[in-house]
Amino acid sequence: MALPTSLRTSATPPELELIASQQLIEIVPLIAMEKTAFILGAYGPLRPPIKASVPLWMAVNLKLKKKCHIIAPPWLNVEFLQNRLNEETGNKVFSKMPFRFAEIAKILLDVAPDDLESPDKIRSLLKDLREARQAKCRDGLAVLDRGETSLSNLCAMEINEIRPFFIHAKSIITQLYREEAQDLQEDSQGMTMS
Amino acid sequence: MDWEAEFQAGTLLNNVNEKTSRSTTDRGTSSSTRHGRSTTLLGDDEDDRDVSMAGPSSDPAVDEILEWNIAEEAHLEKLTRHWMNERHCPDILPAEDELLSSLLDHIRRQSEAVQLLRGELSTSEEEHLRIMLVQTEVERIKFVLRSYIRTRLWKIEKYARHIVGNEEMQARLTTSELEHARRFAKLTDQHFHHSVLQSLPEMRVDLDDEPMLAPSMVTQPDLKRPVFVHALTTCPIIQFEDGTSLQMNKGHISLMAYAAAEKLLLRGDVELV
Repeated sequence: MALPTSLRTSATPPELELIASQQLIEIVPLIAMEKTAFILGAYGPLRPPIKASVPLWMAVNLKLKKKCHIIAPPWLNVEFLQNRLNEETGNKVFSKMPFRFAEIAKILLDVAPDDLESPDKIRSLLKDLREARQAKCRDGLAVLDRGETSLSNLCAMEINEIRPFFIHAKSIITQLYREEAQDLQEDSQGMTMS
Repeated sequence: MDWEAEFQAGTLLNNVNEKTSRSTTDRGTSSSTRHGRSTTLLGDDEDDRDVSMAGPSSDPAVDEILEWNIAEEAHLEKLTRHWMNERHCPDILPAEDELLSSLLDHIRRQSEAVQLLRGELSTSEEEHLRIMLVQTEVERIKFVLRSYIRTRLWKIEKYARHIVGNEEMQARLTTSELEHARRFAKLTDQHFHHSVLQSLPEMRVDLDDEPMLAPSMVTQPDLKRPVFVHALTTCPIIQFEDGTSLQMNKGHISLMAYAAAEKLLLRGDVELV
């Protein structure tokens, strides 16, 4: 099989993580490295303790070897997430989050909890945020129609989660409308014939 | 393309040359010239891609935080976008021949450089680290490339019979993909014929009947299937079948039938997520 069945309808979370790992993040290197040409571009030079910007996967790689500290992105802290959560629970619309926040937060919490301030608190805030947003996603199912459904501020991981069900549900709605239209057509044809 | 030239003059290869031809003492000077070159390297190539969502509520301070890392859309970003588009799209998208061959070129060159550096016994710990990182990147890109090609292959096999009879679809494939589609369709036909069809009455033997009230026997892409669309720029207005229309601003996400988003996707105004 060219593509395993499990990959046909949706991307998998590890694949989304792979994509998110291309984003840049700041690190404080603990080792020196010359500027190096990568296919994605040139990164470095690393000169401790000067901050450098590298792709997330590289930061993770260095972190696992204890060769750098990762600087948390400005949205991954208790204060910012608390504000988002308040907004999320107070409003009906989705609050704005970085498109791939779930993936990045997970990677950082797994690999570099010691570089974050109160990781446990962050973890529980993220969980609350996720639950609040998930509930809104489910409510969103009610407004699904055959036309177009706008889902602003939804994030990559959330889309991936609701994709199979939403696509299936929408296909069925479209089909029902199509059949209805056909029935109407046939009815009117029958009328003129008789 | 500029990027190519810059890459060819890229530092990793430079290092190899330096190491083999020059003494290590003049490395300092060459690395400073390198620096100048590489800043242009990161400067060009495509528009910035926004990672945050431009939604209704906008607070400048929050926006600033959300747009903290805007990566330039380099080759790999493009490949990733095409990969995800292909995965979510019910139809087969136009082949990205040039992009693929240029990336494969990069991979080959990086691997050669790594081989050369590895062959030297004198490599320092720092060199080891760089080699490891470069290799990691190569592996990551290879993964995406493979997954992209496999996705296309899957669709090509699924729609093989449809492709054989549809020139518009053939135009979207590379020559080797088209060749594969033809062979695959022929092989399955022969197989069905030998195993079952030859013993059926003649009127039941065809594999491409289009009966009146049932779907066609040839599997075709379902263009009505809904897809999640993410606008990359401000898009022209789209008209839907039911008479409504929609203009998407940058960052807008919407669930709509693929047929409605097809034109925008081919123009590169939207991506599928």
